[in-house]
Amino acid sequence: MTDFLDPLPWLIMLPLAWGTLAFVLGPGRGGRLAIAAIALQGLLVLQLAGQLLAGGARVHAVGGWGAPLGIDLLADGLAAVMLLLAQAVALPLAIYARGYFAAQPKGRELFWPMTGYLLAALNALFLSADLFNIYVTLELLGLAAVGLVAIAGGQAPVTAALRYLLATLLGSGAWLLGVALIYGSYGSVSLAILAPLVGADAPLAATLAAALMLAGLLLKTALFPFHFWLPPAHGGAPAPVSALLSALVIKATFYLVLRLWLELFAPLTTVAAAQLLGILGAAAILWGSALALAQTRLKMLVAYSTVAQVGYLFLLFPLATLVPPDAAESAVQGGVMQAVAHGLAKAAMFAAAGSMIVATGRDDIGRLGGVGAHLPLTLFSFGLAGVTLMGLPPSGGFSAKWLLLRAALETGQWWWVAVMIAGGLLTAAYVFKVLRRAFLPVASGDRVTRVPRTLEFSAFALALAAILLGLFGAPLLALLAVGGAA
Amino acid sequence: MSRAVAALVVLLAAGLAAALGLAMLDLPEPAVRLPARVAAKLGDSGVDHPVTAVLLNFRAYDTLLEVAVLLLALVGVLALARPHAARAAAPAHPLLQTLARLVAPLMVLVAGYLLWIGAHAPGGAFQAGAVLAAAGVLLRLAGLLPAWAQPGLLLRGGLALGLLVFVAVAVAVLGQGSLLQYPPAAAGGLILLIEAGLTLSIGLTLAGLYLAGTEVEP
Repeated sequence: MTDFLDPLPWLIMLPLAWGTLAFVLGPGRGGRLAIAAIALQGLLVLQLAGQLLAGGARVHAVGGWGAPLGIDLLADGLAAVMLLLAQAVALPLAIYARGYFAAQPKGRELFWPMTGYLLAALNALFLSADLFNIYVTLELLGLAAVGLVAIAGGQAPVTAALRYLLATLLGSGAWLLGVALIYGSYGSVSLAILAPLVGADAPLAATLAAALMLAGLLLKTALFPFHFWLPPAHGGAPAPVSALLSALVIKATFYLVLRLWLELFAPLTTVAAAQLLGILGAAAILWGSALALAQTRLKMLVAYSTVAQVGYLFLLFPLATLVPPDAAESAVQGGVMQAVAHGLAKAAMFAAAGSMIVATGRDDIGRLGGVGAHLPLTLFSFGLAGVTLMGLPPSGGFSAKWLLLRAALETGQWWWVAVMIAGGLLTAAYVFKVLRRAFLPVASGDRVTRVPRTLEFSAFALALAAILLGLFGAPLLALLAVGGAA
Repeated sequence: MSRAVAALVVLLAAGLAAALGLAMLDLPEPAVRLPARVAAKLGDSGVDHPVTAVLLNFRAYDTLLEVAVLLLALVGVLALARPHAARAAAPAHPLLQTLARLVAPLMVLVAGYLLWIGAHAPGGAFQAGAVLAAAGVLLRLAGLLPAWAQPGLLLRGGLALGLLVFVAVAVAVLGQGSLLQYPPAAAGGLILLIEAGLTLSIGLTLAGLYLAGTEVEP
């Protein structure tokens, strides 16, 4: 009986099933089903986290064959943290989306099936221990994300979706080429089988595969200078979609970079490559923040903020590569904490921005006057999310940046500290640009209407979670430590 | 695109091609031999053909996700299809219409044969579904099938059937120990059940990629 209730397979099969059922139910249907199912997925992840904390990492051999003939699922601490993030972001956003599409019906017809497949792809990706299977999850994820960007129709979103499609296909193609090279070199695509083989002997094909796979993932993660596709895609989609994409989809490919870097390709990593990733991260922080500050549309500002925040994730590589284990552990904890904190905060920020746009009827920072008076909770949520992005205590963003700072100081790489401080100041500047406008009175000729309360409360729940993460981050780090990824 | 960017792209592509060529020359003997392992376990897979054994048993989980990718592609097309595109089919030449009426039933028969033979020889749900879809496209070209505006409940059910059956079988056998772990005695029957559902759904999905919001000029 216990086999039937194993959370690993259900976390993948459940969203596949409800996504498909939502499609059968018909256009715009399936929202309540989705919310109930995501809540159940959340309980499954909590059960899984309990299992990991009690008994260590878990493997589930699909089909009962075991690697290398079959495909294995692996749940370790890192996978569990990402799964937790995905369900924790998806549940409030699903509640938000029901209210949002009631107010703005454009794009609601096929939102639920696509979201089901998106979550199935995310959960499958986090749990996969097989390079080819990861390729399949990347295809499912990329196609769902592109579909969601195009869902509302109109020329600008469809153009953005097409550009996103080409970028993500190029990334998947690079990954697949890498997988083919690895299979040709070692005869297997299982991570567990490959790790000792790569450690023992890495021919040119393996090094080339590592470079190709990394490049493909960086393109999909939108790390500077591969960020060109992100702002129009994330800024042009309906607000719940923007939130899902910014909070979760780019984190999935970051998770793969981290896992490959720390495990499979660890024997091939060099300080120079790690410094290069750090420099790209630093450039993303400065360039993304500066462009966010220059935006006049609210959702584009939030989208450029994602470009900047992705940069912080990549600061962990120079701080964790070929350094003392203490510093490396702190750096990985900081990077993962940043992924979680940004996921929650950015979902809150896009959700709040969506509410403001619904209330004012336009996506224009200059016309936000009156939002502070009419939607105080939404503006408060936006501000709280901003606190996390700036890295102010007691937020999760502060814990993340503090862990990264500690690693930077321990390894004597003070230049990253300067980048983080500059990034924090720029973040404060663009957050206050929005807050200042929103506190002004309503301009003559403009109106601010009320929005459904579910929109306000779901955004607030996400923003609050990002803050609470800073106060109660210890259990998350304990979970992360399961299985030796960090 | 400026000339400098184009030159850079060409240089990068040439560099990659050269590196790939070098890597090929340096390729070691693989440490793991999967074809031998597939052959060794073929008897337990429920089918006699190694490709079907890999697709529907050893790596059936990949196939399950691929089926979702296929359905998702159609969902994406439906999201973009414009309602006004679904006009009645334009009448085609009577000769083409007669030919299509004759050939379509035979194509359904071929699809059924490909589905059945997949257990022993090259074939199976994807090939059978592709033939079904080709029949749909032919009927559309002959003006005998209308384009899809928004598929109705029955059609949506048919599109989803293959994936739903696959997922239901995958979790129904969880009692065996893990996802998609067929009981050895029932493996052949379960694979046929999954493939039958997939044939119908893949056929409809592939046809749908063409029929959803396409216009055929007479």
